[in-house]
Amino acid sequence: MSVAPGQMQDLIIHGARLTSVSRRGFLGAGGGLIVAMGLAPGLARATANGASLDPALPASWIEIHADGSFRIRTGKCDFGQSSIYTAYRQIVAEELSVPVEAITSVVSGDTDSTPDGGGTFGLLRYASNNMRKAAAYTREAVLELAAQRFGVPCSAVTVSNGVISGGGKQARYGDIVAGQDLRLTIPVSGELTGFAGLMVTGDPQLKNPAHYTVVGQPVTNPSIRLKVAGETLWVGDVKLSGMLHARVIHPATLGSTLIAPGRLDSGQFPGARLVRIGNLLAVVSPDEWQAVSAAQAVAADTKWSEWKGLPGSDKLLDHLQHKVDWTAVPATKSSASKGDAAGQTSAKTHAATYFMPYLKHAPIGPTVSLADVKPDGAVTVHTHSQNPQYLRMAIAKMLGTGLESVVIRTYPGPGHFGRSNGGNAGSEDEAVLLSRQLGMPVRVQWMRADDMLWSTQSSTAFADIRIGLNAAGRITSYAATHSGPPMQDDRPIGALLAGLPTIAAPSAANPSPIHTAKINIADRWVYSTIAHVSEIGRGTIQLGQAESPLAVGLRDHSMRTPIQFQQNFPREVAISEAAALAGKDAIQFRIDHSDDPRVKAVLERLRLEADWDTRASPASKARASGDQTVRGRGVSVMLRDNGYWACAAHIAVVPASGEVKVERITLVADPGIVVNPLQLRRQMQAGCLMGVSQTLFEEVSFDAGAVTSADWQSYPILTMADMPELKVVIAPCAGAEVYGQGSESANALAAPAIAAAFQDATGKPARRIPLRPDYVKAMLSA
Amino acid sequence: MTTLNVNGKQREVTASDDTPLLYVLRNELDVMTPKFGCGLAQCGACSVLLGDEEIRACVTPIGSIEGKAITTVDGLPARWAKSQSLAPDPARLHPVQQDWVDEQVPQCGICQFGMMIKVTELLEANPRPDDAAIKAALTSSGPSPHLCRCASYAAIMEGVHRVATIIAEGGPK
Repeated sequence: MSVAPGQMQDLIIHGARLTSVSRRGFLGAGGGLIVAMGLAPGLARATANGASLDPALPASWIEIHADGSFRIRTGKCDFGQSSIYTAYRQIVAEELSVPVEAITSVVSGDTDSTPDGGGTFGLLRYASNNMRKAAAYTREAVLELAAQRFGVPCSAVTVSNGVISGGGKQARYGDIVAGQDLRLTIPVSGELTGFAGLMVTGDPQLKNPAHYTVVGQPVTNPSIRLKVAGETLWVGDVKLSGMLHARVIHPATLGSTLIAPGRLDSGQFPGARLVRIGNLLAVVSPDEWQAVSAAQAVAADTKWSEWKGLPGSDKLLDHLQHKVDWTAVPATKSSASKGDAAGQTSAKTHAATYFMPYLKHAPIGPTVSLADVKPDGAVTVHTHSQNPQYLRMAIAKMLGTGLESVVIRTYPGPGHFGRSNGGNAGSEDEAVLLSRQLGMPVRVQWMRADDMLWSTQSSTAFADIRIGLNAAGRITSYAATHSGPPMQDDRPIGALLAGLPTIAAPSAANPSPIHTAKINIADRWVYSTIAHVSEIGRGTIQLGQAESPLAVGLRDHSMRTPIQFQQNFPREVAISEAAALAGKDAIQFRIDHSDDPRVKAVLERLRLEADWDTRASPASKARASGDQTVRGRGVSVMLRDNGYWACAAHIAVVPASGEVKVERITLVADPGIVVNPLQLRRQMQAGCLMGVSQTLFEEVSFDAGAVTSADWQSYPILTMADMPELKVVIAPCAGAEVYGQGSESANALAAPAIAAAFQDATGKPARRIPLRPDYVKAMLSA
Repeated sequence: MTTLNVNGKQREVTASDDTPLLYVLRNELDVMTPKFGCGLAQCGACSVLLGDEEIRACVTPIGSIEGKAITTVDGLPARWAKSQSLAPDPARLHPVQQDWVDEQVPQCGICQFGMMIKVTELLEANPRPDDAAIKAALTSSGPSPHLCRCASYAAIMEGVHRVATIIAEGGPK
């Protein structure tokens, strides 16, 4: 029995509604099924009125085509970890019980053709629930249709490897929907252009992970061939008809206002134009090299007001410790806090201060965006963003226009590790303002120095930690106070320079949990047998922001494991120091202070895989002086997104020169369900090595007014020659029920393990990063 | 007018002699695989081969290289086919490119155009490099290290060893 359009009764499946649609042809002549979202009335209006949008398209998650192929759509984007091209296809294929190859198309990011919005982060642990539930609703709906066609009850219909069977009959998804235009409307909640976007709700039946056949396979990333063959259109490759190339001349400091633009020599640079919008100054030209050259000439001659509102990076810790009023922002307390940590007496006490500098996301390619603002106010932005719908909101807010006027198109670009998860990475808003001013499409390419000086940074922090030990060398109390500026400022810099509206700066009163100045304890506690625990978070506003006439200062932004990295480093180094004080082996000491079997298992596996020599630190040959190489090993642990991670670092130090070489890293992960072991391994390798880079080399330097880390010489990162021997081990616990994340967590483990290895090798603690020679020599002579 | 020899073709360009090659390739010739990374010869994202030697397109004025053979990643398949006297096949990549696919080397991939150019230069001169030779090629052999912010260096190391073996055995089958 086939179900013809118009004859079909609406089917309600776990709260989703399957209908035939009267309007023909939106999937072409062959028919098919489109999985749409159940829009709240207000949202439906906003979307349906969208300027350039076919209302059917942005409302779709999964399309089943009559030929049996599938297309999936997600508002998330790819930043090199491939999850939307690999894991997402696997997760959808698994719920549908079809081969992963049947999912032939992934549409991502573009605000006029994807459904859910939200940021590209926590892709597997959290964000994949949308695709997974949408797929589960789809399967249930198609099985209902199949039951009708087969003339059997739904309970008699099964699906395996793409074949739907029941009552002795068989069909495929494409056969079931062929010739019909069907729409499955599923329930959602949330706000499309909110930070988190929309979430699929309801409770469709999900496949039991014990029966998985597609999740867990080493599916390759199909986007790689296109990239290495030169067939990918990267954001920097987009060319709009009649576009102008722009170079922005950013202010001299983070608080300077424009006094007088330099002169543009039209004889030397014919065709170039100078544009000023408030403190936003740019040179545009049809010729890119002319724009570069002319901007350099104008910049040299431009006058900015003087401004000094920063402590300077060499005085940063002192400033944070002694000049900041930490009472202005309410303190927070971790949920792991218990007992009376301050009231305990101890046989031995470890007390120390730890410091994390500002770090840069530092993409290899500086940010680049294009914008085309039409005379009727329609705005199209071409960019590389982790949260295109939130960027859409920010652009609309800046222009004082409706959301329906703004479309964001996304493209592959240089990985920037969280910088744009609140929409902008820099340059998008500048391109929009310049295009609006000039009435032509504009491409804004930041130069290397723009990207280093005018992007956000991963925030600095310091921690005071006190650990009490009893006579047996067990921890009786742990007290930590973590202090630092906020995590996330998503105000676009061009809008600030132009004096146009933005969302609010981070503050204690900012109601957005991600944009508050309150510092939560993000590092999940693992040492569950310690009776008395106190973890306090203290926040402040961004450095220099209140003093800057631009309200700019040092803007902060999340990076990979935001705030958790800043808190896990001090905790883990302090635990290693406490183990040394107790005369215990650092791995066994950790095992002894946890009753979580997954913490114990990951550490025991690490001990094996790292060929760890069980003993107390420091090493018997530890030395803090001389030109002989000394060696040590250290360990770190982190719990993030329900994944358990442990790392061992083996390092060599030459005390006289202060040179630190990481010789060997072992990283063990129990991340939960491993969706794709091939991609996870690559993510772990790369994420871990980026962590080595941060540990050895990275720190944002700044003077009283400006960032002075301007290029790869003043902000060095890891090179191939610095690469240690690297072993990554994926060891999921049996019966895991949540999808495991990859590169974010892997990024954070190296620093505390290397710092602990430094103490093992030299007998002197390393309580800050980077371990570059000048700091190392100071540590060794302390 | 300046005449450039790009991927085996003579191309006339109107840009002035002092214009860096990168801008001419991307904007005038639509050769898009060399990427803008720093403009300072500090990262390697814009690398191309000049003859058999890697150079940084972002700081090389076109007036200095007129008539010399420039190879970008777009031209690697033809470079390989010519070296092996193979008939043209649009589906065939250079072994280094194919290996980057098979080994799933890139993360974001923006640096990999320069990486593949540098690895091609290395393997043409030293078909069986050891770890030290690979590290030296990608760190100290040129104007600057080839930088990868995603830190895909472990994948690159695995990839170079594998493709060296494949080439030694006569190329991809």
